[in-house]
Amino acid sequence: MIRDKTAIVGIGTTEYVRDIGRPELQTALEAIRAALDDAGLTATDIDAIFKIETPGEEPNSELEVARNLGVPNLRAWGGAGYGGGAACAPVVHAAMTIATGMADVAVAFRSRNRGSGGRPWARTGARVPGIGAFEIPYGLVGPVQQLALVTRRYMHEYGATSEQFARVAVAQRACASKNPRAYFREPITVDDVISSRMIADPLHLLDCSLETDGACAVIVTSAERARDLKQPPAYIMGVSQGMGPRHYMMSGLIYKENPFDFPTIYAARDVYAMAEIGPNDVDVALFYDVFSAMVLWQLEAFGFCEPGEAGAFVEEGRIDWPDGDLPVNTHGGSLSEAYVHGFNHILEGVRQIRGTADCQVKDASIALVAAAAVVPSSALVLRR
Amino acid sequence: MTEQTEMTPQRPLPEITPLTEPFWRAAQSKKLVIQRCAKCDEYQFPPELACTHCGSPDIDWHEVSGRATLYSWTVAHPPMLPYFQERSPWPVVAVELEEGPRMIAGIVETPVDEYEFGMSLVAEFEKISEDVTLVMFRRDG
Ligand SMILES: [Zn+2]
Repeated sequence: MIRDKTAIVGIGTTEYVRDIGRPELQTALEAIRAALDDAGLTATDIDAIFKIETPGEEPNSELEVARNLGVPNLRAWGGAGYGGGAACAPVVHAAMTIATGMADVAVAFRSRNRGSGGRPWARTGARVPGIGAFEIPYGLVGPVQQLALVTRRYMHEYGATSEQFARVAVAQRACASKNPRAYFREPITVDDVISSRMIADPLHLLDCSLETDGACAVIVTSAERARDLKQPPAYIMGVSQGMGPRHYMMSGLIYKENPFDFPTIYAARDVYAMAEIGPNDVDVALFYDVFSAMVLWQLEAFGFCEPGEAGAFVEEGRIDWPDGDLPVNTHGGSLSEAYVHGFNHILEGVRQIRGTADCQVKDASIALVAAAAVVPSSALVLRR
Repeated sequence: MTEQTEMTPQRPLPEITPLTEPFWRAAQSKKLVIQRCAKCDEYQFPPELACTHCGSPDIDWHEVSGRATLYSWTVAHPPMLPYFQERSPWPVVAVELEEGPRMIAGIVETPVDEYEFGMSLVAEFEKISEDVTLVMFRRDG
């Protein structure tokens, strides 16, 4: 019903910097206009808008975006939770909407001033509501600490090492060094990563994503209409969302019987089923990498190796571009290009399918894009 | 006194709600209680309105042994809020209760370089404000 019925036909971004000096709504509009130009469409073609949402943030509402683009009518819209887990979800919803005929041309975007905007947990009040009531008074405050707990347990159970996590950061920086959009372009070594400042033991500074300002957008339309547009279409073969049982946000992994029962495992199963492919068919993977260890968890969830074997997989250079058999995050990812809640990974997937990536995977015909492994998640499979 | 408040950041405290009040009230009398489902007998933590294993709303609070093992830990450098920054290094641990559920906590007295996976722990109660007593853990034996 959805497989191959839609395509990404336009991509656009702002620059990625520490302090962009403009509000998120404005950068959203800039990225969307750039994506429309790329597609050869105009705002009057748009009739659907989807975006990533995180509780407590600036809304950058569909209403404001549509009004400021001059969109004549929206026939579908919505925000998808939860933060990085929703990295692919606006495109999931756009594909659903277009495949079912509810709309013709959808914008999906993410706009974020995370570099200059401060950290959400810095606003912690005197009394902590919700699940944080059982965590923040103990000093477990932010995502890096929450995932540090899970990462340490993963190392204990599977023998993964800091050097293996570091290999992810090194491989992605090598790609970023060839990407003019990337915030960090200076090559690094495994030693650089493990000797960088400890942020939350066992995660070092260079295991952690950037904090940048910027916006990204893509345009989704029907496969039929895509064939008449400016760019080679990146057909959407599969889309999925997945949450799994008894899930909370990041810290909640600790409360599950198996903390490695990641939401992305469920998204992986369903995106492969819809696309009718398996891991052997994937030419390039764009994995959510807010912390280096998460890339290992996605390699396992998407079946590129067995649980606990991703450390060795990475150590053998198999995610490296150009020589690995599964190049990962060829734009540099959130560790080196920019942190836009993983939405920039979708744009890189499209570039790989078009054959225009800075670190182009030779003859790439299928690209996998995955959202954050550890929160309610989403995934996409794109093809030529 | 206002000035002193600014210079002495407060520890963030839990908001106590009708759902979580039994947990915090029990802690004040040095008891650790968690929810258990009357239908499927599963324990759960954190507290919820219904059983997250089977969906039954028929759940009750039960006192548990307080015995636990160390499941994981981290130390932030520096911690992310001023109260903890002033007391750095500040380890945070995840413990696995004997009854199954895990919770976030702190360990008293034992320094972080002596932590070991599976280390035996026993609950301990630390009053930090008029209405809040935190469940902490101490190395057992
Ligand atoms: Zn039950």
